[in-house]
Order: sequence, then structure tokens, then C-alpha cells
Amino acid sequence: MPPIAKFNTLERERIFKNPSDKSFQTPALQELVAPHIEAFNSLMEFGKGSKSGLLDLAIQDIGPKAVFDMHGGGLGNKLTFWVDEITLNKPMLSEKERNSTTRQIYPTEARERLNTYKGRLQAKLAWRVNDGPVVVETRDMGLVPVMIRSNRCNLEGAFPKELIKHHEESEEFGGYFLVNGIEKLIRLLIVPRRNHVIALIRSSFTNRGPTYSTFGTAIRCTRPDQTSQTNTVHYLTDGGSMLRFAWRKQEYLVPTMLVLKALIDTSDKEIFDSVMLGDLQNTFLTDRVELMLRSFKTYNLHTREQCLAYLGDKFRVVMNFPEDYTDVEVGEGLLRKIVLVHLKNNRDKFNLLIFMIRKVYALVAGECSPDNPDSPQHQEVLLGGHLYGSIIKEKIEDWLNGIRAQINQDVRRKVVGVDFMNNQYFTKTLLKTSGLQDIGQKMAYFLATGNLVSNTGLDLQQATGYTIVAEKLLRRVEDNNSWGFLCPVHTPDGSPCGLLNHLSHTCKVITQPADVSRLPAILASLGVSQTLVPARGQKTIVVQLDGRIVGYCSSDEAKKVADALRHYKVSGTHQGAIPLDVELGYVPISHGGQYPGLYIFSSPARMMRPVRYLANGKTDMVGSFEQCQMGKQTMGTPATAIKYRTDNKMYRLQTGQTPIVRPALHDTYGMDGFPNGMNAVVAVISYTGYDMEDAMILNKSSHERGFGYGTIYKSEIVDLGDFRVRGEPVLHHFGLGLDAPRGWREKLDNDGLPCIGVTLKEGDPICAYIDDTTGKTSIKKYKGLEEGIVDEVRLLGSDNGDTELQKIHIKLRITRSPIIGDKFSSRHGQKGVCSQKWPSIDMPFSESGIQPDVIINPHAFPSRMTIGMFVESLAGKSGALHGMAQDATPFTYNETFTAADYFGEQLKAAGYNYHGNEPMYSGITGQEFKVDIYLGVVYYQRLRHMVSDKYQVRTTGPVHNLTMQPVKGRKRAGGIRFGEMERDSLLAHGVSYLLQDRLMNCSDYSICNVCTKCGSITSPISTHASGALSGVREIECRACQTSQAIDQIALPYVFRYLATELMSMGIKVTLKTQP
Amino acid sequence: MNYNATQSTAPKAPAPAMTYICAECGSDNEIKPKEPIRCKECGYRIMYKKRTKRMVQFEAR
Repeated sequence: MPPIAKFNTLERERIFKNPSDKSFQTPALQELVAPHIEAFNSLMEFGKGSKSGLLDLAIQDIGPKAVFDMHGGGLGNKLTFWVDEITLNKPMLSEKERNSTTRQIYPTEARERLNTYKGRLQAKLAWRVNDGPVVVETRDMGLVPVMIRSNRCNLEGAFPKELIKHHEESEEFGGYFLVNGIEKLIRLLIVPRRNHVIALIRSSFTNRGPTYSTFGTAIRCTRPDQTSQTNTVHYLTDGGSMLRFAWRKQEYLVPTMLVLKALIDTSDKEIFDSVMLGDLQNTFLTDRVELMLRSFKTYNLHTREQCLAYLGDKFRVVMNFPEDYTDVEVGEGLLRKIVLVHLKNNRDKFNLLIFMIRKVYALVAGECSPDNPDSPQHQEVLLGGHLYGSIIKEKIEDWLNGIRAQINQDVRRKVVGVDFMNNQYFTKTLLKTSGLQDIGQKMAYFLATGNLVSNTGLDLQQATGYTIVAEKLLRRVEDNNSWGFLCPVHTPDGSPCGLLNHLSHTCKVITQPADVSRLPAILASLGVSQTLVPARGQKTIVVQLDGRIVGYCSSDEAKKVADALRHYKVSGTHQGAIPLDVELGYVPISHGGQYPGLYIFSSPARMMRPVRYLANGKTDMVGSFEQCQMGKQTMGTPATAIKYRTDNKMYRLQTGQTPIVRPALHDTYGMDGFPNGMNAVVAVISYTGYDMEDAMILNKSSHERGFGYGTIYKSEIVDLGDFRVRGEPVLHHFGLGLDAPRGWREKLDNDGLPCIGVTLKEGDPICAYIDDTTGKTSIKKYKGLEEGIVDEVRLLGSDNGDTELQKIHIKLRITRSPIIGDKFSSRHGQKGVCSQKWPSIDMPFSESGIQPDVIINPHAFPSRMTIGMFVESLAGKSGALHGMAQDATPFTYNETFTAADYFGEQLKAAGYNYHGNEPMYSGITGQEFKVDIYLGVVYYQRLRHMVSDKYQVRTTGPVHNLTMQPVKGRKRAGGIRFGEMERDSLLAHGVSYLLQDRLMNCSDYSICNVCTKCGSITSPISTHASGALSGVREIECRACQTSQAIDQIALPYVFRYLATELMSMGIKVTLKTQP
Repeated sequence: MNYNATQSTAPKAPAPAMTYICAECGSDNEIKPKEPIRCKECGYRIMYKKRTKRMVQFEAR
């Protein structure tokens, strides 16, 4: 039996009347956006209950900067400065404001005032001279946009009752930013999996230079603050290998051997042994390693110290470390900041680099296959919060570097007043670099445009398109599927549905690091050897934890270890030493398959989904290393707090109903709060012919009862501040002066704002303002083609509530009753266009006197095979007859227990035909049809594509002033191009009159003078009037000096244009004319 | 002189105070032109205009 579905009408009404202050009605909705919010929260709190966040880790990573004043010959005094602490505050009113009863700013204010929801970012800048006392000063870094419902939002932890109090949706889930009143969402991007070495074959690798091959291994290493750095090992055709990395958008290549020797004190033997891993029979490998070791001798670097100094010498300028760093220190800094940054220990880095070298040689030898970077196995998600944090980090670093550059410049130019001992000098320098200090404005720019302005590129491939508008409509899309991610070509206002990928709704994005501190001990107890260089003669595979080599074991053992770990993980033994979020990827040894190993991941930003662990029936989480599932997509409708919304354009369906046939997810995601369709009685019949070709007939009476009635809300914003010149007083005020004509007063009040409820037509005044300089009243005109009704007028004050009215927001309501040409659809993709509103009396009716609301054509089914619609029709019908909801969860029925039988029985019980057919009678003749008609109830949605937004007609209208042909574009009342192929079609039909009409008379028809003697259309010109009194002007050919041969002919205007263009090139056009 | 006097005393637009509704607390606020937009009760910075008292007629079609 399928589960019993319910409408829950009373329960829903109770909740609507008494919103809860303790729990959400649909917690599933909150979970959907949890990754976004948690990622943002981790900026301040990384890990549960932790006091420090990613921003704190970021400032640690940036570290101190230093400058020298070059006093007394050498470097002189050293001024060190660093960011000690960084805090992001909740949005609050400024100190200047004293009238308000509440200090907090809530998102609704930002939304209604078309503002940005932002909190103050403050940094404690510390500095000291030489080893003197540390001076700390709190600096204001501007107002940074804050994510709604994050831990920096005043709505954090609010439940429906409080949300409604603050004018939000009752189930508001946040996860977006508010920038200039627009809801912006940072998209989840797909990036290469962190801390995991992937083998690549790319032809572009050969472009690095001579001897570079197509083979390489790459790893995207992630620092604790979630910024990343990619390291690539290239295989050279001479057998060597190079390490490549990018630093500040510049690429650098370093011999791997140099890096290996710089990392730890090592010997050639150790390197040889660790690369070989005991496999001495592999002569391919021995040859290459030997060659690599030998060729490094040319550098003549023998100790670690020498290698570091060599690196430091070469990278001193690039790395921009303090000048007093020795070469060795610079080299160490380079290794710390760039090479395998996810690892702290140099020994670990050494081991992993060796592993990368081994993997690239295995790839070259064909022992392993290249990894597919497009497969979810090698991908993870870049969370918005983490990206946001990385940008803030970079901006802070830019700021510090800016201060450093400024001081350096002062020192170099020997500017008077450079005195490190005087604190005022430093604070003065801070003022000079204040442009870099306003991080808030830069973050707002990033969110508003989606453009990443960066010096480092942040290890990302793209620079634009990081944010999308999270309009309510789009957000409902996510309801069914979860958050969209990755589409580099996605345009925010295009058709988002088709282009977005979605995570499946059960897919979870990990945002917090799992505690795996006890894992290595368990691994050791399971037989993973801890020796970092294994003994010779064994075939071993590697065990990695988050990109750190934790040990080696044999292939059979690895399988056992993986199984044991999985069992511990799911059953929760070992006191939860292995959290459920840990991902286990075991790759067995194979020839030519993936590179073997046991890879364990515990880091954030991975995608995981629940599966059932068959061994004990508990739920386990599987990462995308094994599988990943993508979801589906749908369409939707708007919000419940419409009164408090200021969207540019919002579509609303007035007469929504809850569907009779509904899947369980419908309730899980609280879709009843946002109905987006109507239960319609649908007859599948070919009637009147108006239902051909996916058209549908609407019952006129249903339409009159409100079927599919919709409205569009549009925003008009008038900001008088735009007229104001900076520095001048306010000169424009809203108002209607005495000079205003009477006609304006029909629409506007004395305050210059439109009366609420008034209808505006094109050209009507939308508001009036008085210009103080002229004393005159001017108006702004309504430009829409459709009539709009003024629904709301908002008077928007300033941040501190101390300025007069300068900005208003007017919400216009445009009624959109269904008309012929509007698009409707069932939930099965059976979309159709309304072709007629058929009078009720002429509609067919059934024996019980039921008339269909919608008639669709039987031909809509055979090729599309939307069986679901048939079943919904049956289920809806029986549900309506018995007065109950029907469950539509997929996979409830099977071959032995079919849906048709289940609903058929219900229909039978209600006294209807088992199969859903019914005898029907023609509404026109009253005669019974020869066949029974399939009649049922289907949930119909109205789609946003309406003819009123699309129709394009023109008889005469604007023309292009060069060609005199009609312009293009619906907005400009232009035409649709009648092109060459269309012309061919008319030619083939032989309809020359129509051809003439389209291409000449309705286009650029023009009368032109031609000289029949010389055949020129350019030479006849108008000369003096023939008589003094007559206004008739004489036309005369300049070439023939006569007006005798002038005649008038009809020509396309472009032809005359062509003739002049040709003339300019010295080509003469001669027309042969005949009477 | 007389001419000038009439011009200076030309009827100026009387400052018509309009009543608006505070978006936060819902209280009525009389705001004259050039006065700051601020609720006298709670200090909030958004006002809604009241529905017109004039007759509004819709075409019922």
C-alpha cells in the first residue's frame, strides 16, 4: 500500500495562525542551505564551538610585514606590522543615530531600502619598531556584506514567529547576501579535490618549454584557512621532472630534486629508495631516478642549506619577504607558503612530493591511467563562505602590502617626516592607504557583479560569474533539488533552469572538518606500517589521510583496513574516532587502472550522500570519490511576504491550490506555503480543432472564476539624489507645486507621489519633484506599455534617518488574466498554449454534468509517453471524488501492484469507470460522443511565458536612419527580420505581390529621381525654383546639365545608399530605364 | 512697487503635512515636505504611503 497522503489543512492553518518560536515547520528547507550558511559561519567559527574562524587562520597565514628606514648605512630600523585580530560585527546602526528604539538592523530594512545588509569589519593592527613595545590600533575596514541567517546576521537562530515579526518568510532559510536590495547568492563551484594527487595528460603541458611532455601530476593543496595552492609535477622527456606552481598569477618551474633536497636533509640513497619503494626490478623507474639524481649534480648543491639558499636567492624578489631575511629563510618561506601547503611538516611534504614523482612515472610507464578531472571522484565544491573568506584574506594582505609599499616609497624618496620612532608617521601612512582599507566596498562589488578582482587569482580558473541573483523564483527551484552549482556560462537572468547543475536533495556538503586525530593510531593497529621508507622487496601501497602519507601496507592488507575502517565508522565503535563524514577511497592494485592506494578524506567542502551500509543496515555517508548524483529541475512561483519585497519583477499566481496528487517531498519542503498551480479537470479529446499541436482549450467560465489568474509586480525606483551635484545642497524635493497642470493631480498627491490604487498608463506621471533653482515642478513619466496599478509607495529614508525624502520605491501591479497565447503546463512537461477560451455552454460535459477546465489533444501523448500524466489524471480524479490527497512518491507501485489498478478500484468504488474513461456529450449538439473520453484531474501550472511579454507586431514604426529599413527589437517596436530564406520561400511559392509588399512597401520604399539619359540616380539634384511664385523646384541632372530626362522611380532606399557608397569608391551605378 | 509686492506675496504652496505609516511599528507619522524620513515613535527609516481616499474605479472586464 502506498503511504497515506494528507492535506493537513487544519495543522497548516494552526501553524499559520500561531507561528512557532521553537521549531521550523519544514526543517528540510533549512538543511538545504546549511552548507552555505555553515561555510560562512566558519569564517568566524571553524569547527563546532571553536572561538577562532577561518579569518583568524588567514591573518596568521599572512603573518607580519616589515619595512626598514635605511638609517645609518645598513637597513636601519625595522618596523614590523601585522593584523592581530579581525572581527566582523553584526549589522548595527551607526553611533550617530540616536532616535531608534532598536540598534540592530534586520535584513528587511536592507531589502526595502534597497541597501546592502552589512556589518562592520574591524582589524586590530599591531606594529612595533625593532624590538620595541607593540602598539595596537583598531582600524575600521568598512562595512562587509553579511550572509542572511548566518552567525553575523541579526536573524541567527530565529524561528518562524520572530522571522515573521521581522517581515521575513516564516520559513526563511537565508544563505544569500543582500546587495543594493538584491538577493545575491555565491554559487557553489566545482574545483579539483583538495589534497589529492591526480594524474593528468594534457597537450598544453608541452607548451612550458622544450623537453616538457604531456604528462603531469597535480595536487590542489588547501591551507587551514581554506585558500588553496596548486602544485604540478611535470615529466620531462629527458626523464627528469619539474615542479610548477603559480604565485601572484605568475608561473614558476623548479626542479623537483632541488625542492626535495631543500625540504629535508636527505641523501641520494634515501631519495632513490623512497621513489623505488622496493621495486628494484622496475628498470624504467631506476633509470629515471638515477638520471634525475645525476643531472642534479650540475647544480653543485650538496646540502639542504645550499639548496635553500639557492632557492631563496632566486625567489627573493618574487616572495617579497622582509629585506633582512637571509636566503635560507626566504627559501624556507617559499617552501612553507607555496609547496604542498596543506602539510606543515617538511618530512610529510617530502614524502608526498616523492609520491607525486612516483605517480607521474607510473603514468608515463602506463602503469596507471590518467585521472579524469571532470569526474566527481576528483572534484569537490568550493563553498561561497570559503571563497568569501579567501577574498577578504587577500584584501587584508593587499592592504598590508600597500602600507609597506607606501613606507618604502617614502624611504626611497627621502620624504621629510619619515620617522619610525614617531607613531604619528605610521598613522599618517595608514591614512594614505585608506583606499585599500575599505574591504567592505570591495566585497559588495564582488557580490553585486560576481567579478573577482584579484592579484593572486586565488587558484581559480575564472574571474567572473561567481554570484547569481537568488530571486524567490529561483530559490523555489532549489526547493526540489538543492542548491545549484557550476555552470561557467550561466547567465543570471537567462533561463537558469536549463543551465544549472543541481546537487541531489540528499547530497550533503561537508563544511566542518572531522576529528581524525585518533585515526593514525587505529591505522597502525590494523597493520599499516608507520615506517616512512619501507623495506626493500615488498610491493606496497600508500595510505594517505587528507593528502598526508600516514603509512604503507600491502594491497591485501589495505582492503582489510578499508573494510574494517568502514565498519568502525558506520557502527560508531572506537568512541567515534572515525566520524561518519570521513570518506574512504580504496583503489586496489591493477595494471593500467587508477593509481592504487587507500585515500582517506576528512576535510570540508566534499560532497557526500547517505547510503545504506548493508552489513548492519545503518546509514553511511558515501563521498563522491565513489559516486555522485546530480538532480533534476523544475519551475516555481513567489513568496508569502510579498508586501515586504522589492524585487524588480515578481510573478504571482492569485488562485493557487494545493495539489491533490503530491509526492512526500511536497510536504517535506513545505510547498503548500507556495502553491504554484491549480487542480484542473482535464479532458483528453480532440474537440473543435483548437487543441491541435499542443494547444489547449480553456473553459471560459473557469477562467472567469479565476483559473490561472496572475499578476506581475514591478518596481519603479526614483532617486532624486541622482540629480544632486556632490557638495551642493539638496535642490530637488518631491512635491507638486502650484504650477503643476491639473492632469497630474489626477494621479499624484500633493507630496508628489502617486496615489495608491491609481491606474497608470504610458506617459502618465509617476512622481513629481520641484527643482529649487528654477522653482518648477517636473515629473517622471511611466514608461511601461501595459497599464499598471500603484500598489505600494515606500518613502526611503537615509541610513541615519536624518535626511529628507530623496528616494522612493513604487510597486506597480500589472494584472495578467490568462489570455490566448499564454502558456500552461502540467507537472509532466506537457506544456501547451491557450488557443481559445471556449464558452462554457459549448464545452463537452460528462454524465455527472462535469465540464473540463482544460481540453488537451490526445496526440500529446503517444510520442512523449508521459504515463505519469495519465496516472495523475486517474489519481486526481479518485482523490477529488473521495475527498482525499493522493500520494505520488515514485517507486511505490510495481508490476504486480499497478497504479492503474489501485486508482481504478477507487474510481470503481466511487461509481466511475475503472479506467478513467467516461461517456461525454457534445456541448454544441448534445449528442453523446462515439467514444468514452479520458477525463480526470491534473495539477496545472501557469508558466511565466506570456504573450503580453512576447508579442511583436508592427505596421509602421521606427526605421533605421541609414537604411530606412525597420529597426529590430521588440522593445523598440521593431520588426522581425524577413530574411533570405523567407524570401526564397516566397519566390518558390510565386507570390510576387506579397514579396513586393514585404521587402519593398513595408520596408524601405522610396521614390527616387533618375536621369534616364545617363542612368544615374546620384546625379539628379534639386536646383532653383522654376518660377518666383511657384514652390515647385526643378530637378536637373548635374552630369547631363538638363532636366529633360529626369524621371521618378520607386527603389529600395538601401539601393540608393549602396549607389552612394559605391560612388565613394569610384564606381558608377547606371540604371537602364524603360518607360 | 505695488507690482513687486504682489509678486512677493504670491500664494506659496502651503506645506501640506501628509500622513504616512511607519514600516516598523505601524504608527501614523505626519511628515511635512523637507522633513527627515524618520518615525517619531521608533526612529525607523521607511514609511509607507496610505491608500488614497479618492474614489478608485476599476474596469470590471
